[in-house]
Amino acid sequence: MKFFSLLFFIIGIQFASMAQTPESPAIVFGPVFGDSKLQELTYYKINDIDSVQFTALKFYISGVELIHQYKTVWKEANSYHLVDAFQEQSLSLPLNVPTKLKYDRIKFNIGIDSTTSVSGAMGGDLDPTKGMYWAWQSGYINFKVEGKSNLCKTRNTEFQYHLGGYRFPYNNLQSIFMDMPASQLHVVLDLKKLITEMPLTQKHHIMSPGNEAMLMMERVINCLSIKK
Amino acid sequence: MKYRIIIVILVCILLSAFHMATEQLFVAPENWPETTYDFSKNPLTLQKVELGRKLFYDPILSKNNSISCASCHSQYSAFTHVDHDLSHGIEDRIGTRNSPTLMNLAWHKSFMWDGAINHLDVQALGPISHPDEMGEKIENVVLKLQQSKKYPALFYKAFKDSLITGEHLLKSISQFMLTLVCSNTKYDSVMRKQTQFTTQERNGYMLFQKNCGSCHTEPLFTNLEFENNGLAVDPTLNDSGRMKVTGNKKDSLKFKVPTLRNIEFSYPYMHDGRFKRLSDVLKHYTSSVLQSPTLSAHLQTPVVLSSNEKVDLTAFLLTLSDKSFLFNPKYSFSK
Repeated sequence: MKFFSLLFFIIGIQFASMAQTPESPAIVFGPVFGDSKLQELTYYKINDIDSVQFTALKFYISGVELIHQYKTVWKEANSYHLVDAFQEQSLSLPLNVPTKLKYDRIKFNIGIDSTTSVSGAMGGDLDPTKGMYWAWQSGYINFKVEGKSNLCKTRNTEFQYHLGGYRFPYNNLQSIFMDMPASQLHVVLDLKKLITEMPLTQKHHIMSPGNEAMLMMERVINCLSIKK
Repeated sequence: MKYRIIIVILVCILLSAFHMATEQLFVAPENWPETTYDFSKNPLTLQKVELGRKLFYDPILSKNNSISCASCHSQYSAFTHVDHDLSHGIEDRIGTRNSPTLMNLAWHKSFMWDGAINHLDVQALGPISHPDEMGEKIENVVLKLQQSKKYPALFYKAFKDSLITGEHLLKSISQFMLTLVCSNTKYDSVMRKQTQFTTQERNGYMLFQKNCGSCHTEPLFTNLEFENNGLAVDPTLNDSGRMKVTGNKKDSLKFKVPTLRNIEFSYPYMHDGRFKRLSDVLKHYTSSVLQSPTLSAHLQTPVVLSSNEKVDLTAFLLTLSDKSFLFNPKYSFSK
């Protein structure tokens, strides 16, 4: 008898969870190069002659908020996520939202806010061992993209863009607002768009805060879109 | 009744023991300004301080296990490096600046000569990763520590977690550095009315207050700001100082004002260690301050000192030595 009641209980739970929205709310990032899914160490054609490959693509998502009719209705606690294009599980950020909460927009930041940037050593995704902290000039790298292209007349044809900065006038934290569906928001990051706009032939390294990092971050933002 | 008294006494002893245990790790001297460091985010414990001390003296932090923090920050010179004008690192590489002293860091709001580091916790990342200093990656330091025989147990003792993280590593080094409080100089004793200056020292103190005190503010003997003190640019270094960090021309040639505590033992002086003797420093301020758009407001009128006054001023500067700091066994290499 006990066994049956347990069985019914488990089945009951299964049904209950199925009755809810099939996908719980999340932001899911999909890095692509044009029509292809972005993969590590794969050469992608920029045009008939030139190509590019990516060795690293990492960025911080922080300060996630849900908005309903222009009002913030939910803020994620301890909202710091390191997204790594080549670590599948890091691409999906589940949002632990109370059931029945209504929302229509989402806000999140690309990067780490200035208060956190001046608060000393942090753990978890913010741990300086994650390769996203500048050692010689304090601050987080908000967005990092590294790779190789024949367009770069550098050692090993490498390029490195480390975009950060928390201090005025080079505060490089970017807030993004998007329409939020009830379930999952699929955000596409198209590296082809970024590469075509990037000055690969002239500028191969950005490693500190400043105008160039600000400009490049704007280009990154322009490469984000919602997957329909 | 008797029992009650005994219990009260026992509780008192216990409480005072706890009080002493926490008090000994960090004591802010009376009448000093508020500390900047937020101790609530990294409360000092004996285990963490001791772990930080071990790490401070361990060359495992460097790429080829040859250089420790103490290599350029030795206790007997107030945690700087007296043999070299510029700091030196692995494989005999030479850096571009004079290693600063380490004292009273809980009061500092930025670190390094240009203030590029914004918090004590992340300060160690600078020298660990600099190719001319320790040349190592923090990820790799964590790996080496995790694979070592002694460190997982020490991290467990300190953080109740034998999995070593960058956060725990850095916070323990901070803990040790925070305990480096220098507050027992003759100057401090005079301020506490426990002793008196000699006539010469008192005269020197007055000259100090008039000519030096606006940047080397008491009781820390630094205003913790960035100033251009009129040094000629060394063409082999071309160091623009604070401007490198802010990108602002107004910060050109500004460097963080160093403390004068233990100045007797922390030569050579200036960000590039160009002066070996205190007399060279005084000579600079009285005769070779260069005018430039960013010269400190406090140096706009020339400093005038007679040779007798220089002797008196030097006598005062020597009252800023703290032997109990320089030879404190708690700060030295722990076996």
